[in-house]
Amino acid sequence: MCLGGCISLPQSEALRAAPPQGLPPRVELAQVPFHRQDDFLCGPAALAMVFNAAGVQADVESVTPLVYLPGRQGSLQAEMLGATRRSGLVAYVLAPRLEDLLRELAAGTPVVVLLNLSFKWVPIWHYAVVVGYDLEKREVIVRSAGRQRDEWSFAFLEFFWQDGNHWSMLALPPGRVPASARESEFALAVAALEQAGRAREARESYRALLKRWPDNLIGLIGLGNVEFGFKDLAAAEQALRRASVAHPKSAVAFNNLAHVLAALGRLAEAESAARSAVALEGPTLPQARKTLEAILERRVSLP
Amino acid sequence: MNLSFVRLVSRLLIVCLIGLPFQVNAQMIGTDQVASAAQAAAARDSVASFMNRSDVAGQLQALGLTAQDAAARVAALTDAEVARLAGQIERLPAGADGGSLVFLILVGLLIWWFVKK
Repeated sequence: MCLGGCISLPQSEALRAAPPQGLPPRVELAQVPFHRQDDFLCGPAALAMVFNAAGVQADVESVTPLVYLPGRQGSLQAEMLGATRRSGLVAYVLAPRLEDLLRELAAGTPVVVLLNLSFKWVPIWHYAVVVGYDLEKREVIVRSAGRQRDEWSFAFLEFFWQDGNHWSMLALPPGRVPASARESEFALAVAALEQAGRAREARESYRALLKRWPDNLIGLIGLGNVEFGFKDLAAAEQALRRASVAHPKSAVAFNNLAHVLAALGRLAEAESAARSAVALEGPTLPQARKTLEAILERRVSLP
Repeated sequence: MNLSFVRLVSRLLIVCLIGLPFQVNAQMIGTDQVASAAQAAAARDSVASFMNRSDVAGQLQALGLTAQDAAARVAALTDAEVARLAGQIERLPAGADGGSLVFLILVGLLIWWFVKK
């Protein structure tokens, strides 16, 4: 068994050589409750823990139907994200870096990690929740399976984490931006929350996204769409107009702005925006044309 | 009929017409279309996306979910996630279990290796 040669734990090594800057030396999110998993239910247990931490009531029983797949006797990663969205939280997949995980803990957010507890070719997949770390001891604090509080070295975590490509996720309350957030991934995560039907929570998260990245296109269009849904036409116009200014080639921005202006009764401006959308062509051309037609019909029917 | 009355009636008419909904066809474009484009997914092919979603819902049903649950769970996934799941559900990691003999053996071996170093 080639353990010596086969084990390479580059991230732990890198952290040993150069400890991360700007992090408190020790963090423990003791308030994250422990949910013991029953057979095969580590997915629901992990989610229940991080949902509670994000202010959402949940337990293994309530989460199981959202994520557990009987025929696989486990929970798929994508469904962990879906269940998070259905519970009104932003599901965010971290970059595959231990340092990012530590930053999230320092910011107060517990992290769900996917581990392979066995060999690569005969995997036994498992979800655990990381709730703290100690930089000096080079350890993380974990809630896993039947154990409320375990201390694992960085190397131990990395060893069992690598087969799943170092996958981990956050369940974020609306309005919170991850400490290690990358703009595009976070924007997509909020859009996914909107798409899952949680418009109110998505609105709050879009606002937070735009506070940090004011010109993000998905954020501006998403906020505009959601505000329109809530009938806040002024807010919708503001967001979509900003989208059209920051992204003058976005047909979607102009198309949706046209709709809002039409709803506000400003048909001349609506027509102008719709014409801009049509002129930009692209895959949304058929929709832009319909928007323009509808506006022109309304203008004709008015005295 | 004086002019200000005519003006009032015109204004009321305009307000009523504004209240009329657009034809059903003209729609705001959903954020998900922008998201798909941002992920460099091919210009969102709604037929393909629909097929993928039904396929995946079917596969989830075959794995023990009711039709209703399967549909609700697929609805919470992005197009990209659905596309990655299609045909792969049997193979993808499904986190399940926290205690296992193999795990304990591996832990033992790791400890031995670290001690040896």
